[in-house]
Amino acid sequence: MERTKVNVAVGLFLVLGILALAYLSIRLGKVSFLGGAGYLVSADFPSVGGLKAGSSVEIAGVQVGRVESIGLADYQARVVLRLERNVKLQDDSIASIKTKGLIGEKYIRISPGGSEKLIPPNGRIREVEAPVDLEELISKYIFGKV
Amino acid sequence: MIGLRRCALAAGALLMVVVFAHHAWAGSPSDQLRAQIERVVKAVEDPDLKKDGKVRERRTAVRRIADDIFDFNETAKRSLARHWLQRTPAERKEFVDLFANLLERSYISKIELYNGERFAYLGETVEGDQATVRTKIVTKQGTEIPIEYKMLRTPNDRWLVYDVVIEGVSLVANYRTQFNKIIQTSSYQELVKKMKTKQTEFLDEQRRTSDRS
Repeated sequence: MERTKVNVAVGLFLVLGILALAYLSIRLGKVSFLGGAGYLVSADFPSVGGLKAGSSVEIAGVQVGRVESIGLADYQARVVLRLERNVKLQDDSIASIKTKGLIGEKYIRISPGGSEKLIPPNGRIREVEAPVDLEELISKYIFGKV
Repeated sequence: MIGLRRCALAAGALLMVVVFAHHAWAGSPSDQLRAQIERVVKAVEDPDLKKDGKVRERRTAVRRIADDIFDFNETAKRSLARHWLQRTPAERKEFVDLFANLLERSYISKIELYNGERFAYLGETVEGDQATVRTKIVTKQGTEIPIEYKMLRTPNDRWLVYDVVIEGVSLVANYRTQFNKIIQTSSYQELVKKMKTKQTEFLDEQRRTSDRS
């Protein structure tokens, strides 16, 4: 009888531990269940140079979403963003890939537009700016003059 | 008899002009853009207008063509973005004029530096009423500068440019950030005041240089 009690207590303790671990890994890994909250919009960039799934999406420096996935579509990079539901984007919003600091990580900055029309869920941001490729610019100055 | 023939000839010529003029507006976004840019090059290279004393005439000529290429209203609206919605129709009209002058000051004077650069048209994507035309400028030294024109279709089938993306940097995005910063830190009135002062300074400067020559 005493033995069963101890066994049950140890079992409960173990289950509790596993649950705590699962909670922790979900919180830290930012894994979203059931497609997560918010809505998706896509944007096609000529190049994404260094942007990764999970990179942050910011408006005025405030994070409003994340990069859900990056894929290739017609030799362009199609970036799918997951935005918070209360963030509305006008259809002339501009999505630019920027670098934090001079050599920091890449993120997407959205500058909101002035149109009355909004981008619906699963819609597309038409106005994009690819990251400025410093190496390419430098090589242009080095090799440009023929 | 001769009078009748002359009449027919004149009618024919008139018809041709009408047909060609119409033709200039029809066609793909690239074709329309190419026709307009050729007009600019012609105006800049016009030996009559190239003389030093003709700066003002040359600028007016280029500005007139620029009005045919650009949809300044749309560019201004997109650059002002959120703040556009809060403006009254009168304020909007004033702002579009100021903005068109700002672009003229910054870019039309640069166009005069044109020196035999070549334009290459790389392709276009049309999506409903919006189109992107990809071009590049090749300088005499062989440096290539990629330029993308974002265009909108007007009801009469003309394509007008509302944004220019040079080397991946968008004109609208650039001004949107600047205008937003000025409006956030001071006010819209301050922005208009700033743009007006710049324009008067520019006009004074222009008057002085043309007086000198």
